[in-house]
Amino acid sequence: MKKLSMLVVLGCLLVSCESTNYVPPVTSQMTTARKGQHVDFATLREGRTLLVHRCIECHTLPLLWRYSTKDWPGIVDSMSHRASLKPADREAIVAYILAVRSAEH
Amino acid sequence: MKPALRVVIFVAALLPVLPSFGGARHFTFLYEANTSAPGSLELENWVTWRHAAGPGRFNQVDFRHELEYGITEKFQGNIYLADWFYRSDPEHSGSSYSDTAIELIYNLTNPVVDPIGLSIYGELRVGDRLIELESKLISQKNFGPLILAYNATLESVWEGSDLAEREGEFSQALGASYEISPRVSAGIELLHEFVFPEWRDTAKIRNFFVGPNVSYRHRNWFVTITALAQATDTQDEPDFQLRTIFGIGL
Repeated sequence: MKKLSMLVVLGCLLVSCESTNYVPPVTSQMTTARKGQHVDFATLREGRTLLVHRCIECHTLPLLWRYSTKDWPGIVDSMSHRASLKPADREAIVAYILAVRSAEH
Repeated sequence: MKPALRVVIFVAALLPVLPSFGGARHFTFLYEANTSAPGSLELENWVTWRHAAGPGRFNQVDFRHELEYGITEKFQGNIYLADWFYRSDPEHSGSSYSDTAIELIYNLTNPVVDPIGLSIYGELRVGDRLIELESKLISQKNFGPLILAYNATLESVWEGSDLAEREGEFSQALGASYEISPRVSAGIELLHEFVFPEWRDTAKIRNFFVGPNVSYRHRNWFVTITALAQATDTQDEPDFQLRTIFGIGL
């Protein structure tokens, strides 16, 4: 019974982790989500692709609302060398993160 | 000029122009599905201590010096510059060169956005009276801060003076790693081996190891340690193994 309870708890934890979408797909709504700024669809998609490929080489992905809009550019910048990110790659990742945050609010 | 010296000079000349880091490992007995960023170069040093007690007691320390290079976004090439070991048992002790190897990893799907992350792995290992081929299917799924990984590996070994001794091995490994903070992870690894001397299963050799792991990463380096204890009772296999991988981006 104890083992079964542990399995149920573990299963619930996995389901809850999986149901949280850490990197939602790019939508057209995201391209205009930031006030006064338009980011093209291709840049956001590239940002998402780079985020899920490069960042997980060292760590798992945090929830995007864990850090503030102001903090994200500095956070990505601090790890860009390690992740072999060129300036355009870095900008695409930051654009995607900020667009997701703006679209969700 | 000796070929080995040429390789050292070539690698040394290449280092300053190559940026960044190949990535940190969360496991030491398992591979993860993601591959290194294109253009990244990393040096990894592996140290594995194996200890067996009882009548066939021994202590062996295996060393591996490996370079990992990201070729494309999904394709990675690694070179084991040298595998060597120091062994001590009741009859003798000493160190010896073992082999040099090349491995290639191709990433098929991503462990975050796809239902499961998959990579395929091929390795050719050549040593003194030794040829080994290894293929591996690497699977991984990230559930937020939790990483689950599974590797299925098939190995063929030819060794001896005329490479007449053959052995096959199938192994599967399962691991879980939880990221406590962006720098620290801890988890568990399980290793299950099926050994087939002369590609026959008459000896029914099965080994099962289990133990915890911990990983720390900072700036362009990481260190990951796993301690495995044998849960079966196979003679000639270590009762305990401790593996440390230290990686640094060049």
